[in-house]
Amino acid sequence: MRIATSQYQAMMTQSLQENQERITYVTQQMASGNRIQLPSDDPVDSVRMSRLKREEAGIKQYRSNIAAVNERLGKNEGYLQNMVNDMGSGRDLLVWALDASNTSQDLNAMVTSLVSLRDSLSYSANTIDQEGRYVFSGTVTGTAPIAYNASAPAGSRYSYAGNTNDQLVVVGNGITQVANQNVKGVETLLNQLDQTIDTLSSTTVNVNDPAVRTVLKANLNGFDDAMNLVGGKVAVIGGQQNVLKTIDANHENVSLSNQTAILDIGQLDIGTAAIELNGYQTALQASYTAYSKIGKLSLFSVL
Amino acid sequence: MSILNNALSGAVASQLALSASSQNVANLQTKGYTRQSALLTAVAPSAGSSQAGNGVRVTALMRFSDSYKTQQMWRSASDLGAHSQTQPYLTQLEQVMGDDTASLSSGIDGFFAALNSVAGVDPTSTPLRQQVVTAANLLSQRFNSMNNVYNAQLQSVRQQRSALVDSANTAIASIASLNAQIANANATGSNASALVDARDQAIDSLANQMGLEVSDQPDGTRNVSLKTGQSLVLGGVAGQLSVSGGAAQTFSLTFAGTRFDLDTTRAGGQLGGLSVYERDTLLPLQQGVAEMAQQIADKVNTQLQAGYAMDGSAGKPLFVYNPGSTSTMLQVAAGYQTSDLAFSGDGTAGDTGNLQKLVGIKSQTITMTRIGTVMISDADTQLVGRLAVDSQQNKGALKTTQTMRDQAVADWQSTSGVNQDEEAVHLVEYQNMYQANMKVMSVANALFDATLQMMG
Repeated sequence: MRIATSQYQAMMTQSLQENQERITYVTQQMASGNRIQLPSDDPVDSVRMSRLKREEAGIKQYRSNIAAVNERLGKNEGYLQNMVNDMGSGRDLLVWALDASNTSQDLNAMVTSLVSLRDSLSYSANTIDQEGRYVFSGTVTGTAPIAYNASAPAGSRYSYAGNTNDQLVVVGNGITQVANQNVKGVETLLNQLDQTIDTLSSTTVNVNDPAVRTVLKANLNGFDDAMNLVGGKVAVIGGQQNVLKTIDANHENVSLSNQTAILDIGQLDIGTAAIELNGYQTALQASYTAYSKIGKLSLFSVL
Repeated sequence: MSILNNALSGAVASQLALSASSQNVANLQTKGYTRQSALLTAVAPSAGSSQAGNGVRVTALMRFSDSYKTQQMWRSASDLGAHSQTQPYLTQLEQVMGDDTASLSSGIDGFFAALNSVAGVDPTSTPLRQQVVTAANLLSQRFNSMNNVYNAQLQSVRQQRSALVDSANTAIASIASLNAQIANANATGSNASALVDARDQAIDSLANQMGLEVSDQPDGTRNVSLKTGQSLVLGGVAGQLSVSGGAAQTFSLTFAGTRFDLDTTRAGGQLGGLSVYERDTLLPLQQGVAEMAQQIADKVNTQLQAGYAMDGSAGKPLFVYNPGSTSTMLQVAAGYQTSDLAFSGDGTAGDTGNLQKLVGIKSQTITMTRIGTVMISDADTQLVGRLAVDSQQNKGALKTTQTMRDQAVADWQSTSGVNQDEEAVHLVEYQNMYQANMKVMSVANALFDATLQMMG
């Protein structure tokens, strides 16, 4: 076949161009570590990768939710445990108060302790978070759960103003978890405690008076009930934390397998790429050498 | 005297041949130059059996060209043009839509992640709620900037087509005028080779812009028509392309006072490639993204309106979808407050009933004209996937057509291109021929001198 001089030049330009293009592409791949530079390099795998990344984004969010919920549950647990501790010391005081050898002065002296206990309990029940929202009022977070009416007679001044609805939080695809607790039931104890304080404050109070004993015994039972109630809630929170731990571990496993898959699909095999790059370099080098030799050949130069 | 005349004709012929070679060498690097060579013919003797002949004559300056190869070159130029102009657009879209951080997918992820973090931590937290409004804003901006990219491309495609029409008109006019000059030169017996080269190059550049049918005429002119049949050039008469209309351009061809409407998607070449890209890729993508924006906005708004805000009032829509708007297709409602987010299902501030449903929207489906019914979280992935397949196809076609064009050009050069070694040989050989003829003259002269001496 007849070869025109310009044909040889064009062929040379094309082959240099082609090799340089390949070298640039492999260098880009190596620089980013990604096998796929543009979706069109591998449409099917880039769709797979995109889907894995979407799932990964969801899981990341769930896991950070779980961490935050755990923190919130831990705080709630702390507040409730404080209340249980307070109730324990209150119960001790009442057991002591029921001792038949107590004088009126002895009983009067207990009032101060009981008042501070009552206030501590009602303060804990009305705990607010950093934004001023009530922690234990169910979903009515703008309302203090324990309402106090000073004008009512002792024994009915406290009432529960919250509700018992759950705040559900999302910790997985379609998985929700209750993140709040309420203190419904604590108001009964507070009323009983208030009644006890009222009774014991009288200078003539007699521990052997059956009416006084009824109040004190009822309060003692009330402490037991409330401790069971709140202690039960603490136990529930412990259980929830365990469930969250399990869910988090599941997320972690799925996330790990997703990340492995993303790497498998998207990561460049550096070894292969290096060999390719080497091949293209050699080819380019050879083209240069060939051109520098053949380009000089001309019949004119020997005439 | 015939020896001297023969020698003279040989010397003249070799000069002509040398001149053809020198023209070839001079145009060694000229694009589109077709090499020429002197065609030598022996001149028969006038009468009698004792005469060898009357020397040599250059009957023609021959052009080395093969009309099949030229046609092949033009055809491959059209195919190449159809794919080469669209690839930069496709690559740009891929880069924008496929980018991990700028994609619609990650905007949607971000919005639902913000909802999820409210849902997952504390529905009454103001900073977390703020994050939802911020993420909604970011999501809108992504939709808008994507829409801006489409609009910029549409504008660019249309400007490019207008420019193509202008440049094609120039080429068409110059083909017609060169045709007229060639016919003239052929009629008067002048060498039209340079004119033919210029005209064929004009046809080549026009072929890159649109698909052509070229037919040769006996007078040396070439008639050019579109693939769909309408004439662009008949001899020395040129047609005129024109574009009218605003955003949706309409194209027409006026030839000899008659106007035809053109469907540019069938025109081939750059013009056809751009039109097909606009019709089959760009507009459907833009529509798909607009459909996504509209349906996501609708779903989120509807769900928000079913719930209650922090103060127990009924929910208000978060997104505003403006169909047809270029830079504000999707927006967050003006003055939207974090407390307006209606996450509560029963009116109490801490309830998350409606928020759960909002979070669930991510796995609901939307319907897009081109792709069908898909999950919201997967819609963008599928759009990008579709784009990737289109781009991959075009890349493949571009590679094939580039190879075909290179091959066609190489084939053409193989026939018409100049080879400097060949010309060197010609130069040497015709120089020898010239010198040999000079020698013949001196021999004839010597014979003449000898005859004269005998007389003396």
